[in-house]
Amino acid sequence: MNLEQQERRFALALVGPALLLLLLITTAPLVYLLWTSLQRLDLGMPWVKGFAGLGNYAKMDGDPRFWNSLALTGIYTASTVVLQVLVGLSLALLVLRIPKGQGVLRIAAILPIVLAPVVVGLFWRTLVLSPEFGLVDLVTRSLGLGSHNWLGDPQLALISVIAIHTWQWTPFAFLVLLATLATLPPDLYEAARLDRASAWKRFIYITLPLIRPAIVMVVILRTMTALSAFAAIFAATGGGPGSATEILNLYAYRTSFTELNLGYGAALATVLLAITLAVSWLLFRRRTARTA
Amino acid sequence: MNRRGRTIALYALAGVLLSVWAFPVLWALLTSFKTERDVLAYPPVVVFTPTLANYREVLFGASSILPNLWSSLIVTGATTVLSMLIATPAAYALARLRYPGKRASGFYVLATQMLPPVGLIIPYYLALQKVGALDSYGGMILIYLTFSLPFAMWLMVSYFEDVPFEMEEAALLDRAGRWRAFWHVVLPQVRGGLAVTTIFVFLNAWNEFLFAVVLGGNRVRPVTVAMFNFISVEQTQWARLAAAAMVAMAPVILIGLFAQRHIVKGLTVGAVKGGGRR
Amino acid sequence: MSDLEHSRRRNALKHAAALGALAVAGPLALPRAHAQAPADDLAPYRAAKINWRQAEGTEISVAVIPASYFDNLLSLLPQFEALTGIKVRAEKVPPGQIRQKAMLDLSSKTATYATHAADPMYYPLYVANNWVEPLDKYLNDATLTDRAWFAYDDIHKAWRDADSIDGKPYGIPYDGEVTVQVYRKDLYDAKGLKPADTYDQLLANAKALNDPANRVHALALRGFAGAGQNMYIYPSLLRGFGGEWFAKGSKELVVNSPEAVLALDWYVSALTQFAPPAVRNWNWPDIADAFSQGTLACYIDAHSSAAVITNPEKSKVVGKVAYARWPRGPNGKRVTSIWNWGFPINAALPDKAKRATWLFISWAAAAETQARTSWKFAGPAKRSGLNRVSSWKSGEFAQAMSGAGDNFIPAALQSLEQDTDVEWRPRVPQWPAIGEAMATSIQAALVGQKKSKEALDEAQARIAQVMKS
Repeated sequence: MNLEQQERRFALALVGPALLLLLLITTAPLVYLLWTSLQRLDLGMPWVKGFAGLGNYAKMDGDPRFWNSLALTGIYTASTVVLQVLVGLSLALLVLRIPKGQGVLRIAAILPIVLAPVVVGLFWRTLVLSPEFGLVDLVTRSLGLGSHNWLGDPQLALISVIAIHTWQWTPFAFLVLLATLATLPPDLYEAARLDRASAWKRFIYITLPLIRPAIVMVVILRTMTALSAFAAIFAATGGGPGSATEILNLYAYRTSFTELNLGYGAALATVLLAITLAVSWLLFRRRTARTA
Repeated sequence: MNRRGRTIALYALAGVLLSVWAFPVLWALLTSFKTERDVLAYPPVVVFTPTLANYREVLFGASSILPNLWSSLIVTGATTVLSMLIATPAAYALARLRYPGKRASGFYVLATQMLPPVGLIIPYYLALQKVGALDSYGGMILIYLTFSLPFAMWLMVSYFEDVPFEMEEAALLDRAGRWRAFWHVVLPQVRGGLAVTTIFVFLNAWNEFLFAVVLGGNRVRPVTVAMFNFISVEQTQWARLAAAAMVAMAPVILIGLFAQRHIVKGLTVGAVKGGGRR
Repeated sequence: MSDLEHSRRRNALKHAAALGALAVAGPLALPRAHAQAPADDLAPYRAAKINWRQAEGTEISVAVIPASYFDNLLSLLPQFEALTGIKVRAEKVPPGQIRQKAMLDLSSKTATYATHAADPMYYPLYVANNWVEPLDKYLNDATLTDRAWFAYDDIHKAWRDADSIDGKPYGIPYDGEVTVQVYRKDLYDAKGLKPADTYDQLLANAKALNDPANRVHALALRGFAGAGQNMYIYPSLLRGFGGEWFAKGSKELVVNSPEAVLALDWYVSALTQFAPPAVRNWNWPDIADAFSQGTLACYIDAHSSAAVITNPEKSKVVGKVAYARWPRGPNGKRVTSIWNWGFPINAALPDKAKRATWLFISWAAAAETQARTSWKFAGPAKRSGLNRVSSWKSGEFAQAMSGAGDNFIPAALQSLEQDTDVEWRPRVPQWPAIGEAMATSIQAALVGQKKSKEALDEAQARIAQVMKS
């Protein structure tokens, strides 16, 4: 057996179990989801049954709440991912430069992510962001910025939930990038330092290219989380006020489980899946293109 | 600015940033020691008479969450172990080896993680019910794997790709065999990545709510569901909820403490410079 | 030997055995002996002329929400088991998920839950899908129900009707509530105010007491978006303004009628002028919390919030609370809510399990159990939402509720008997979608995102679509 065949067998042996397992458990639900999206299935009106073809999808075109949720999803995802990477990277760079006590700092940095999202949403709603009673309000008032209805005002609510999500998930970017940065050999910088290159230049031209794959990985994974964010935002605003924070994921949930329109809800979920796939495909290609 | 001054400035900055960062959690910690009256007091009290009553109720009282901690531990532990065992070799193959359908399979794994939970709950519920696996550990772990496995794989792929290719080649040339190359040479290189991935897989599974509440019941009842015992229809018992949240956090912090020792500066002594990608 | 004597004998034998074991095994046996001490007298139940043990050995699963009134019931389950030999497994599902979980079970006929705490607005849906059993069958079956003992008609009529469709009962109410005015009598007395009798008076009172500078807001009503949240208060306002849900003489839902717009306008302006800004995200526990901190002068919400605002652990206003009925709307009517948690029977169960479930339901709804979860309950939380008129009128209830504040029982009882309206919300199978659409629109108006008419027009469009498809 030549080297290539040997490598192939080895690779398949390693990757096989994972692929097999996933194929088994995700194919049937996916088929079910697609099938339901093509049906008219509404628990609230059991006499309405039957094949709808693409009817559910056509409905979305004239549904303002759908377009609203798409726009919100875009804003929410883009802002939280960008913020997470920026803040996470900065924190990682900062922590690395501190000679001692990194352990404590690392623990402090991951605390937000360790708290259950449901609890995070509730706490932020009542203890932190509540006008008059909450902490944030206390701070803004003592700073002279006045009291605001952080979760009750439509614009502020969106900003608030973005803040909550960013706050909670940045530690992920922080830890992953920290681990990556820590593996970079220090002698890489020697040459640059000898050349009297500034810290900023060192960062842009040496560090950044090396950690780019990790950043892309973080972006991909965080994008997927943002697209399917649920528990915290549900506990904090429930998608409100009105539909001000109703991202597509939440809209699909409300349609399926609160309004009981399972057919339409499944169609919405399928659209969400398609979007997630498309975005990931784009990011994925950028990643492999670079490493080709 | 001299060295000392800079270090102090850095410490100060880090301290401030991180305390602001961790403040909500610290506030929750404070809340867990307050009486219900103090919780809603205005202005918010920082100095108060602490009480352990909340912890006593949460741990040993009628709504004790100890059995739920155990439930979470079983589901999350098994999920993490299985995920890491299956995902790590697979990630290595994806990162390093050549085989037919590599790109497609890579994207497939990524795609499975994108199935929106909203759309999956009902088919999962029906499927588990058909095989009698509702409210069972086996069923729950299986479903948890659907999101943990791809997640673990994709995190590990990037860490494997960072391992200098030349290291492996050296090992292979030594006639060491592929498995030994993997086990003895490559794996130690990604210790940091393994630690980080383990923490996050554990965390993701530990904090899962939707699947836990729909597919579980009385037997399999993770902590995330049990916390709602304190959010009753009539009132939210904030102090007890905070105590429960702290208790629920404890195992993860412990695992984090244990694993983070491995997130150290790379063991690059003797490593070939440059790194390489296939 | 009668049932009672049998059990006494068994108990005696067990005692003897326990004592013997005690001598041998020492402290290990002690806990066991305590568990069999005959502290629970099942005589009131045995007075019913039915065979409680007819479904002996069955196991059923019950889903409830975390709430003290269910906790009390669950603590009594050992009594039920001793009485009937039926094993009950109770699961506490978070209130945000219980409807979904129950419906998932009912619609897929998996028969996981024999019964669950049901939202009365969902019965039209359940019945349209044939998911639950008509209960008249069980009520009229002499082997299952002793009508004289069970006294179905003793249960509050409003709640019985809420759990029935076309006159047939599908659920038996267990616990319920009415919404009432709750106010700080000390603040009112200081300004010589009386509890409002009309909507205008309510606003006038609020104006007199509103003092945001000193962190006292005068009025609060639920704002949180949800079919059971802001859509719990709005219908009362709508009916108070003379609004109807259906167009005259038809089955068409109309939610943007002129009265509806008036009602919503009133809601919006009342909250904007006199309520804390956060009220738009508040559900009733938040309102109760604020009131107990002394930052609210008055609110209209469930009578059972009395438990929270008079809890010395949390509340600063104990002893300063009083109650009154809803004020009259412009059309002269007082309209309150008719919420209750009732138990239906899952139609997918096998027959024996259905009978076992009925025994459980009739036990839970029995006057004796209502008493045992209220004034006879050993713990601090005494239920105030009892399902029976006789319980409400009893002296023991009055005593148990004596700490709730002035006029508590009369206000609540009168509201329950006179101010309720079964068609207070539209009882159609599509209610979940309708409730959601209305709730979203109401909140949009409350936060000023849309004008009332615009918000209601939007809701109307959405609902029309739902009803059409």
